[in-house]
Amino acid sequence: MPPETISVENLSKTYQVPEREGGFGAAVRSFFKRKYKDVKAVQQVNFKIARGEIVGFLGPNGAGKTTTLKMLSGLLHPTAGKAHVLGFTPWELKTDYLRAMTLVMGQRNRLAWDIPAADSFLLNQAIYRLPDEEYKQTYKELDELLELEPLMKKPVRNLSLGERMKCEIAAGLLHRPKVLFLDEPTIGLDITGQARIREFLREYNKRTGATILLTSHYMADVTALCERIIIIHQGQLKYDGGIGDLSRKIAPFKLIGVRLAEVNSHDLTKYGTPVQNEEDAEKHYIQVKAEDVTRITSGLLADLPIHDITITDPPIEDVIEQAFNQ
Amino acid sequence: MFKIFQRFWQVNWAEQWQYRANLLMYLLYWLVSPIIYLAVWTSIANTKGNVNGFTANDFITYYMTLLIVDQITSNIVIHTFAYKIQDGTLSGELIRPVHPMLTNALVNNIAFKGLTIMGLTPIWIILFFLFRPDFSNVALSGILLAIPAMIMGFFIGFLLSAAITALAFWTTRVYSIHEFYYALILLFSGQFVPLTLMPKLIQDIAQFLPFQLLIYFPIQLILGKLSSAQILQGYVMGVIWLVVSIAIFDWIWHHGVKRFSAVGA
Repeated sequence: MPPETISVENLSKTYQVPEREGGFGAAVRSFFKRKYKDVKAVQQVNFKIARGEIVGFLGPNGAGKTTTLKMLSGLLHPTAGKAHVLGFTPWELKTDYLRAMTLVMGQRNRLAWDIPAADSFLLNQAIYRLPDEEYKQTYKELDELLELEPLMKKPVRNLSLGERMKCEIAAGLLHRPKVLFLDEPTIGLDITGQARIREFLREYNKRTGATILLTSHYMADVTALCERIIIIHQGQLKYDGGIGDLSRKIAPFKLIGVRLAEVNSHDLTKYGTPVQNEEDAEKHYIQVKAEDVTRITSGLLADLPIHDITITDPPIEDVIEQAFNQ
Repeated sequence: MFKIFQRFWQVNWAEQWQYRANLLMYLLYWLVSPIIYLAVWTSIANTKGNVNGFTANDFITYYMTLLIVDQITSNIVIHTFAYKIQDGTLSGELIRPVHPMLTNALVNNIAFKGLTIMGLTPIWIILFFLFRPDFSNVALSGILLAIPAMIMGFFIGFLLSAAITALAFWTTRVYSIHEFYYALILLFSGQFVPLTLMPKLIQDIAQFLPFQLLIYFPIQLILGKLSSAQILQGYVMGVIWLVVSIAIFDWIWHHGVKRFSAVGA
């Protein structure tokens, strides 16, 4: 087995997407001759991950993160390139490989929808051939960390999103995988839920020495868990290194959000670059350099009739996009 | 391995049980056509004395047996699996270290059968008292011969349907392909009408096709209508088609999985 747990060489995936114009004529033509468009989801990506590392895999929507995770877990055949995980080629779907890894994808279920999670857990015990003692032990540990017991007897469809997510993650870890691919493991969870999952993953990594590659939209997930991050954008690897280095590279920016007494009546451009933010239409956001935050904030407070002011890190998606589009 | 199937059974049985009302509606829908054929042919035979040597009782016993045989050998895999390929939900199952089709889907179909047969039993008894079939020709040996034939028929049908279902890796129009396949079943299996009443050409072709192994062959075994040579021929065809359907399914599945794009999942 090679020293690194995951190694990826020139991995590429091109999807062929059928394409046609709207309208009846185009529909008829496409019936006889379909046009395809090549979408290069992942292009020549290279990286290596050592045993026990937790790596954050970041990029804007459509960057190719999920496609890469799907290839590494064996769901997708790449168009070109190589990958080895634990010494296996993932897409050969060897039984020994499938027993040694897990893929947890946001909302997608390992759990049967109509029956209690307990039954799905027992099914997984059989599928992964876990001896009773080992299964009970693992379940006990997962229960300690995630408080599963009260959720086990309800049909999965009656669980809340957060409860279901906890069960999904637990179901994916019953067989104590050595490699974890996690796609948005905290999506849809409240702050406490997110923190709990994070804490759990850190603990699991410490206890078992498992290698974890995770994607997340929440900066907090990444900063809390990962020392190293890999960024891809438009299918290409853009950054691979320590999170501290990236912070230094992009930390210069903060977002200041202000709610003004008279909407739109003041020009904020002289304080910083205005930024669109759909989440809160009543607020105006400007982006400023980190070292200027104090100065600009006091300037704003002094000059303008401000009802409310917030200072935040820019969303990770924006940061990444900014860092590489400049 | 036994434990895997046992746990799959628990899960699938519980799942099917959740949908028992649904399943009963399906069963009633499925019952309509054999019962119509039964009623129509019986009344024709009654007025004419017989149809090509088939008496009213021959028709009644044929369709009453068909109700049971078809329930045992048919499958619903296209309806429970193809959508998983199309909408990407197969992802979760594909990365489990067991074959999604040959464990979960297989057991799911058997659980479905378990429930529909439970539903069918009282209906069958009512039909029995309505039509009063004379089953005096049925011998234990025929039933014993029919059991392995039905199991074989089920697996052939399941694998062929599973192969068509796996075409969903290539095309979204897999349901119409399956409709066509089902039309072949209707024509060549003896589901419409006992095969001996079909034109000679269709009978000759049907002999070499797998479809009669699902319906006609087991029914005739149960009713004790086959000679030793015919029984042997049926079993030989069965083994050949079993091997062929394993090969077809395996090839399509193997190549299909490579094309899986796990859309939206």
